[in-house]
Amino acid sequence: MGCNLDLLTSFKDNCGFGLVADMKNRQSHKNLEDAITSLERMMHRGAVAADGKTGDGSGLLLSIPEYFMRKVASKEGVDLPETYGIAMIFAKDLSDIDTFEEFCESNDLKVVLRRTVPVDTDALGAQALASLPNIIQVFVVPNTLMSSKRFDAMLYLTRKECEHKLIDKKDFYIPTFSSKVIAYKGLIMPTHIKHFYVDLRDEDFKISFSLFHQRFSTNTLPQWKLAQPFRAIAHNGEINSVEANRFNVEIKSEQLKSDIFSDEEIAKLLPILQVGSSDSASLDNMFEFMLANGVDFFKAARSLVPAPWQNAPHMDADLRAFYEYTATAMEAWDGPAAVSLTDGRHIGCLIDRNGLRPSKYVITKDDKLYITSEYGTLTLDEDNILERGRLQSGEMIALDLKHGKVLKEDDINDYLKSSQYYSKWLNEDMDYIQEYIEDSFLNTNDYIFDDLEKKQKYFNITYEAIDQMIEPMAKDGKEPVGSMGDDTPLACFSKVNRNFSDFFKQKFAQVTNPPIDPYREKVVMSLETGFGKIHNILTEQPEFAKRLKTTSPILMKEKFDILYSFGYNQSPRYDSYYKNETFSTTFTTDLKASLVKLSAKVVKAVKEDKVSIVILDDRDICESNKLIPMAMAIGYINHQLLKEEVRHSVSIVSVSGEVYDPHMAAVLIGFGATAIYPYMMYATTVALYKRKALSKYELQRVLKNTQKAVNAGLLKIMSKMGICTVASYRNSGLFDIIGLSDEITEDCFEGAYTDLAGLTYADIEARIEKSHINAYIDENCMFPLDLGGFYKYTNGGEYHDYGPATTKAMHNKSASKKEDISDFDSLKELVENRDKKFIRDFFEFNSDKGAIDLSAVESKEDIFKRFASAAMSCGSISPEAHEAVAEAMNTIGGASNSGEGGEDPKRFNTLKNSKIKQIASGRFGVTPGYLRSAEELQIKVAQGAKPGEGGQLPGHKVTPLIASLRHTVAGVTLISPPPHHDIYSIEDLAQLIFDLKQINPLAKITVKLVSSIGVGTIAAGVAKAYADKIIISGGDGGTGAAPLTSLKHAGNAWEMGLSEAHNALKANHLRESVHVQTDGGLKTGMDVVKAAMLGAESYAFGTAALTLLGCKILRICHTNKCSVGVATQDENLRDHFEGTVERLISYFTFIAEDVRNILASLGYSRIEEIVGRSDLLKVIDDDFAKKFDFQNILRRIDGIDTCQKDSNDPFDDNKYEKELLKKVHRTIENPNSPIKVNTEISNLNRSFGTLISGEIARFYGDSGLPDNSININLKGIAGQSFGAFLSKGMTLHLDGAANDYVGKGMNGGKIIINPKHQGQEFAGGGNTCLYGATGGKLYIRASVGERFAVRNSGCISVVEGTGDNPCEYMTGGIVVILGNTGINFGAGMTGGIAFVYDPEKGFVDKMNQELIEAVRIDTDDTERERLYLKRLLLDYLHETESEEADRILQNFRAEIRNFWMVKPKNMTVLPLDPDEGD
Amino acid sequence: MLNFTKFERINPEKRDVLKRLKDYDEVYKVFGKSRAKEQSDRCMQCGDPYCHTGCPLGNYIPAWLKQTATKDPDLAFALSNETSPFPEILGRICPQDVLCEGACSLNTGHGAISIGAVETHISEAAFERGLKPKFSSNKKDGKIAIIGSGPAGISAATFLLRKGYQVEMFERADRAGGLLMYGIPGFKLDKTTIERRINWLLEAGMKLHLNCEIGKDKSSEELENEFDGIFLGLGATAGRFAGIDGEKSSNVYLAIDFLTGIQKRNLGNDNVDFVDVKDKRVVVIGGGDTAMDCVRSSVREGAKSVKCLYRRNEANMPGSKKEVVNSKEEGVDFVFNVSPKSIKTDGNLALGVELLTTSMSEPDESGRQKVVINDGSEYLEEADVIIMALGFSPEAPAFLKSLNVKTNSWGGIETNASFKTSNAKIYAGGDCQRGAHLAVTAAADGRDAARAIIQTLA
Repeated sequence: MGCNLDLLTSFKDNCGFGLVADMKNRQSHKNLEDAITSLERMMHRGAVAADGKTGDGSGLLLSIPEYFMRKVASKEGVDLPETYGIAMIFAKDLSDIDTFEEFCESNDLKVVLRRTVPVDTDALGAQALASLPNIIQVFVVPNTLMSSKRFDAMLYLTRKECEHKLIDKKDFYIPTFSSKVIAYKGLIMPTHIKHFYVDLRDEDFKISFSLFHQRFSTNTLPQWKLAQPFRAIAHNGEINSVEANRFNVEIKSEQLKSDIFSDEEIAKLLPILQVGSSDSASLDNMFEFMLANGVDFFKAARSLVPAPWQNAPHMDADLRAFYEYTATAMEAWDGPAAVSLTDGRHIGCLIDRNGLRPSKYVITKDDKLYITSEYGTLTLDEDNILERGRLQSGEMIALDLKHGKVLKEDDINDYLKSSQYYSKWLNEDMDYIQEYIEDSFLNTNDYIFDDLEKKQKYFNITYEAIDQMIEPMAKDGKEPVGSMGDDTPLACFSKVNRNFSDFFKQKFAQVTNPPIDPYREKVVMSLETGFGKIHNILTEQPEFAKRLKTTSPILMKEKFDILYSFGYNQSPRYDSYYKNETFSTTFTTDLKASLVKLSAKVVKAVKEDKVSIVILDDRDICESNKLIPMAMAIGYINHQLLKEEVRHSVSIVSVSGEVYDPHMAAVLIGFGATAIYPYMMYATTVALYKRKALSKYELQRVLKNTQKAVNAGLLKIMSKMGICTVASYRNSGLFDIIGLSDEITEDCFEGAYTDLAGLTYADIEARIEKSHINAYIDENCMFPLDLGGFYKYTNGGEYHDYGPATTKAMHNKSASKKEDISDFDSLKELVENRDKKFIRDFFEFNSDKGAIDLSAVESKEDIFKRFASAAMSCGSISPEAHEAVAEAMNTIGGASNSGEGGEDPKRFNTLKNSKIKQIASGRFGVTPGYLRSAEELQIKVAQGAKPGEGGQLPGHKVTPLIASLRHTVAGVTLISPPPHHDIYSIEDLAQLIFDLKQINPLAKITVKLVSSIGVGTIAAGVAKAYADKIIISGGDGGTGAAPLTSLKHAGNAWEMGLSEAHNALKANHLRESVHVQTDGGLKTGMDVVKAAMLGAESYAFGTAALTLLGCKILRICHTNKCSVGVATQDENLRDHFEGTVERLISYFTFIAEDVRNILASLGYSRIEEIVGRSDLLKVIDDDFAKKFDFQNILRRIDGIDTCQKDSNDPFDDNKYEKELLKKVHRTIENPNSPIKVNTEISNLNRSFGTLISGEIARFYGDSGLPDNSININLKGIAGQSFGAFLSKGMTLHLDGAANDYVGKGMNGGKIIINPKHQGQEFAGGGNTCLYGATGGKLYIRASVGERFAVRNSGCISVVEGTGDNPCEYMTGGIVVILGNTGINFGAGMTGGIAFVYDPEKGFVDKMNQELIEAVRIDTDDTERERLYLKRLLLDYLHETESEEADRILQNFRAEIRNFWMVKPKNMTVLPLDPDEGD
Repeated sequence: MLNFTKFERINPEKRDVLKRLKDYDEVYKVFGKSRAKEQSDRCMQCGDPYCHTGCPLGNYIPAWLKQTATKDPDLAFALSNETSPFPEILGRICPQDVLCEGACSLNTGHGAISIGAVETHISEAAFERGLKPKFSSNKKDGKIAIIGSGPAGISAATFLLRKGYQVEMFERADRAGGLLMYGIPGFKLDKTTIERRINWLLEAGMKLHLNCEIGKDKSSEELENEFDGIFLGLGATAGRFAGIDGEKSSNVYLAIDFLTGIQKRNLGNDNVDFVDVKDKRVVVIGGGDTAMDCVRSSVREGAKSVKCLYRRNEANMPGSKKEVVNSKEEGVDFVFNVSPKSIKTDGNLALGVELLTTSMSEPDESGRQKVVINDGSEYLEEADVIIMALGFSPEAPAFLKSLNVKTNSWGGIETNASFKTSNAKIYAGGDCQRGAHLAVTAAADGRDAARAIIQTLA
């Protein structure tokens, strides 16, 4: 709680992983060698310390090497019997081994041998050596006669007991204790694992399978026990929903019944999850627990990581029944995951529903199964390959070692669905609320209140809340969009009435896990909600299917009534299983005592009266009754029920007036509500539309819309964290709680992140009292509500830092003399006297030195170098404004930021060139020339205004200029996806940084993060991924358009994130390797100096710069109607732009001079000296300030405070391509001398072609070289990012296959991949190929992975099959697919064309039909299209000799009928240039 | 909303000059529904609503513009009346060009929203539909006296009655309304609009004592004893002379006397103080709104010629620009850059004004230009009637002293920031406290003082 010190050293981890198995269960040493080689060749997916030896850990989980173990045992004089088990133990303290052995004995296990595992410590880096434990193997045999099943159970029980006993021994860890598997792992580089573990070198060490794993942790404090694989799994990815899963495991643990263990034994096993372990380890604990208790391997796996079934109409009904049944007690462990798993007999691999982690397999003719993150980690004889494929989203593949059989997705599904009568069980016991309702939202009786206005006032439903939130939701069925940033104080600092939910800031995914797109990838999302008890998860019984279900947790009167009727004993429908009781959440005095009392009542009712649906109802609010904040009530009761071990039998339903936007709903669900009945939202809507005299059905529509909007908003909030189902979101507590006392957070919100501990129950009660008086005592006569002021400025409303006074002060007196305004005194005065609005206002300087003369302070020019403009794209702001910012920054020696929309090449090499070029998820305008024109390349992982979300530039704003910058055509809607589709985890980010360092070796690579508790962990990971600079952006950053609740409720103040990141980097000894920047509402020198003291070396200004250029904070950017020509593309309005470069310069001069004066007064001469000096700040002496705990922000740990390196060079120096570059350089010097090079390539050679492309772009920009100037013929399996950012003039022929990101960002040239095995059954490329490509050609005569051609805007491509989500967000280019595609084809595709060959007529079901249509091209008026396709196929055939293309062309007249042409629905003119087909 | 790119700013239609000169009826027509909707629809609903912050009352302008544009006129009415005691009056008489409309974000090249005109429309249309301002039915114990029935007094009374307090209003004149009634000519503000508001206050329970002067008709002791709180909204009623020779001549008048006389005549009072300017040459000295009222009234009274003399140039005139335009339309001559030196007299009769021409200095740091007298530029402007429209000062009546209410050097009542005077029970606001200013600032003071009184009573 409160003190977040542990966060500085916490971690997230991602990696490379895989397995090797012999299908016939034959043991060989070769299997081990293969596993180790595979692991070695994915080293770039892990992290390496400076000594080149200490990694973040790697390991192998092996079938027990029978022969070897018997050999070593007999050497010790022990003859192992048929049944035996081996414990692998890490222990610093050898007495712990004794403890372990005691537990063995007490569980009837006889210890026959204690073996010290021989190791060679030369293989270890210093850090690993320092923490090296004793590595001991303990061999046990049954002491009495017991079945092998019982024996395995005893091994498990013993380990758990011993773990519980030694919980305080941090250095004690049992990697495995099993009769089937054994782990060899540790803080070792894969290249050194054999060197370290002497056993592994023994030719007699023969195994039949191995899981293997290489870890990439975000911190530099790796531990031996964190290395994977665990006991049953190896996991690549991150479990986004782990907080909820952990909480839910506790709920499920309340009543376990097992066939294997007795109740007493079960009690000894608990808790299931080891405390303080990683997300992957928790998943392993749970999976292993289920297996140990006899749950079927496949059922356990698929109940933890289910395929998306709720919104998958194509799924088999019986399979769906399996999932629906399973979901009654199990929620998905949701997040990017490729998991390899084993129970000793089965070995398998599955991936998450989104397919966010790569998992590739090869089956050979000699019965081997290889699964790895990348192709090519083993050099295999191509002739021996039977199948080269990959797992598609949500799929599983497994091997049954007993029968020597590969089980594919369909085999597994067949088994699952037919193992029980799930459909029948569901039919009998599952009730759907919807079926009892004629129609919803027709009965409005519940929404009529005599004292509606008083209630509205109490619930802070102001005019503004209605106008800005409720009415737009009612009108459009979606959450409204706003613009500019949030400039209001945190709820805890606010002096006005704020909602309780304002204390909660939504968490969002950045870097280590991706957010997902809830709109375009709907198929994986679900809000399905069930009521009823959580049954025993260890068995399957028909009655466990009993559930009341609804499609959304947001109820309306009709559904609430039905739900109620099931649990109300006077109702004919009454079923005691759903017995409910309603508890009023009102109180009169003493909030805390009332909360405790309420909770006690609930617990009693649940325990004694067997109430299973607890209804918390706040409708009793009145003149004498106030309300316990609903989130507080739910959180507290949720924890009390858990403490009493009855949580499993309860669903909490909240009847709350506090919910009228998605954020408010998310808070309640996040802390445990099953469903919400937001009656005030409906009541307000009814009152609003009553005056408009709507018909009953129109009223129904608007009411429905409000619910629809909240549903959509909930999906958005979940997806921000990468969570797909509400079941996995419930109980997650995925919020940063800012400003509530430790007592409140411990009582009610345990597990959530907190900071700025402050307001107590008494403070909250005082606030409640105030709003109660305002609502029930103070009356407004004419307009009964309050006006608001939360979103926009209102006199007497919430403080806005960019309020009219500030804006005027920045605009500064008469606009007529704007050129030489230099007087910012009034701005300074306003900022300095704003009085405790932002965290920094609570600090004052506390120098340890006397003042010095101003002349001794570094010059303003020195300070200017630290200034940058925040990213604002040309598109979000007008070209005039964009260029003015660039010119001003370049003039003073600072840096401007292009934003994410590309930049006019005419500006390159001029004073208007932006030194910082941004790379955002849309990759708009990201070309080799663009990347090469920069001094700094900024990867925007998140944006302060809407972290975790994508964006959309509506077609009407895409002018010809904007379109040309973004490589698309005017009028096409442009969608930026929420994640970078090439960054789903930290090793992916490392790969992108690597790509960028190849294309522009001179540029600094920057990663922009948003402040959030835990950002320190991410920052450390980013530094380890070789970024040069990290930006911690405040959650208050501006935007051209973002949903209002995102603007307001996601992202923290920069002070918090900056301090945490700075300290975490220091704790991990990484601060010296990276530069740190911050932004967020900085306005004066005082702001800059405080930011420096909290750890920032440079400072960015966004809104301030725009304001100087004339922005008036109208907050209408998203309308394209900016009246001052700053944030609009409208030519008439752009004429009103009056900003000048001079004015910006004078503003930055003011700031720099202000900084200089402050430095002088503090006695320091340079900013460098105060960076990170939080000791120069102290909390102001003020009663209100005393309420809060600022220690996390003012913390200063020992270490270096500033960046000491010029650049953070990657481990991989890419010598391979550097050598090649030398060879081809003469062609770059002399473009008319083409060159041909033949060479070999392996998966270790990543980003091939990028370095050369960068060199071409350096001299020729995007014009590149003449076609085919540089021809490179390669043989082998290429590494990731093959041909990324390829320049014109390059041709890459690959005789083999490639991995993920082929042709990403390619701008020209050709990539031709010809694997030996061709066709859709074989893989030729990995995931996310052609992401953000702007031109060129890509031909692959095999299939590719997920998200093919995502955001393609110009490349022409032919492939023979794809995974899921192909052509997502495509805006241009042509894609031909001569084989199967996965589902969700063309989601968000607003431009470009695809031709899909579909002889089996299954394609149309796979389309996401929101924006696209499929048409036939065998008609008269599609002659041009036919011709185009044919010419393209001929060219393809010519380059690849594809058998499929040949066959189709042979019979083209007939085959043409099997083609679909897919195009955006509103596209009339097809961008088909037949010449391009040649 | 945001349709400023589609529609231009439009001012409310004015009556034909020839027709309007014949009477004292309002010059501007009230916006119709569709025009009001269209003009409101231009509003950008700014994040920083400068109109709202530029309004002394802090009116919720964007809110009621939106409701007008989206056809929820009842809500617009409620919103507009929440902050303002009489929006339909202020919509007519406020100098919007220096307040809300001047601050409007669109006032830089796009044309500000016609805020005043829409404001008037909202309430007038609502009244036509039968809506009325609401007052609390929840009667409270406190009893407050309001001295003065001008904008500050009416405002204070309105907000006190809305909270359910008992209010008695004391007015020394024969009609309520103060400056609104007698200071502002009917062609700017129809007098029935004031009576309408007064009547609603009476309906809400206010007691009104006309012809009742404190210290004369009611003693200050009585006042202090009978009431729990007192609000002084005395106004600034003393007209200012220029302080030059000859200004005491019989045909030199103060603006307020001139305007009051006409108004009383128009209301049918038989009064002796009426100044007849028919067929006379009228000269008005001053450049503010009162001067405009005088010149325009003179034109209507049939003066032979009407001249307005002002010492600065047109750009520096303090009054509302639209009034200058209206005056010119109605035939008034403006003489700028002249400073009166003396009144030329013949016995007790003024013959004209001796003037010096002036010029404007370069703007100083604050951007303000000073007046520089041009030496030896003297000339005579002949006149039959000379009207001094040089502003007003508070009168500081004697009863203030007996109530222990302190005044300052220029006769203004001293208060703290929440309008409390040196007597803890007594509050003061408007012109008597801040000096002569606008009706809207007086209304804001009255409202805020009422809120302060309520806070002490609650």
